[in-house]
Amino acid sequence: MTTGASMLLKKQLKEMESKDGTQGFSAGLSEDDDLFKWEVIIYGPPDTYFEGGFFKAELLFPQNYPNSPPKMRFVSEMWHPNIDKNGDVCISILHEPGDDKWGYEEASERWRPVHSIESILISVISMLSSPNDESPANVDAGKEWRDDYQGAFKRNVRRTVKKSQELL
Amino acid sequence: MGNCLTGHAADDLSLLHEEPDRVSERLGPPPPYQEAAPVYHLSPNQRRTVSQLTEEEQVKIAQRIGLIQHLPTGEYDGTKKARECVICMLDFQIGDALRYLPCMHTYHVKCIDDWLMRSFTCPSCMEPVDAALLSTYESR
Ligand SMILES: [Zn+2]
Ligand SMILES: [Zn+2]
Repeated sequence: MTTGASMLLKKQLKEMESKDGTQGFSAGLSEDDDLFKWEVIIYGPPDTYFEGGFFKAELLFPQNYPNSPPKMRFVSEMWHPNIDKNGDVCISILHEPGDDKWGYEEASERWRPVHSIESILISVISMLSSPNDESPANVDAGKEWRDDYQGAFKRNVRRTVKKSQELL
Repeated sequence: MGNCLTGHAADDLSLLHEEPDRVSERLGPPPPYQEAAPVYHLSPNQRRTVSQLTEEEQVKIAQRIGLIQHLPTGEYDGTKKARECVICMLDFQIGDALRYLPCMHTYHVKCIDDWLMRSFTCPSCMEPVDAALLSTYESR
């Protein structure tokens, strides 16, 4: 299993290195050359309050990847309904499949081994633009997104954008 | 609440394929907020070693293995349309052991079998494998 996981990660790393970042992110290994630990930068999507931000995150892959999903955690401070205050990203495609017998509908949105690192990052970018407010991981951000989008929500997001630029 | 699952919410079957301790080591200890968070129960997902599985669970695993082994397999001979295993992202090589799912999606045996122990669905099209399998039997 472990060798399969490292081969798959190595392959994706190579593909990632040949990209130019126009898809809204850049990704590579964290400094310690551990294939199971990646560092990514998500560019705040245009036409959202996140625009202009360079948000740093880490992806931690389990030994049995791709049967289990990686975990994604923002290192940069984030203000978003689906990112909790520790930076952990809570989206359905990063959730274990569970048993399909009882949750077939749900299962389709969950982790599947055919998801690539690229497809994960694309989902995260789309999550930034359109949060899922049914189950916020950051309840305060969820409330603001619903009730005070142009006020408090914008203010808090813009603050994180500014902070992310300073850290570059 | 509830959108973020705690740690490993896979079914018990995944125990056969990983050493949970090593995984949690790699991922670090769960942050403290998770302790109060609700656990999403699709199936019992307490973490136990294989020897701690109930008889019922052992039967379930044996049945699942049996079902998987009923799925057709073959060797890649270079003539089929499918050229790549989308799980490991590698091209099929002549002689690779393949498994054909009822939905006609094809994977390496070693790649798909581990997944099918976790979730009995095709990772590409999400077709539940057991339903299709059972109807194939019934129509015979
Ligand atoms: Zn494969
Ligand atoms: Zn399929």
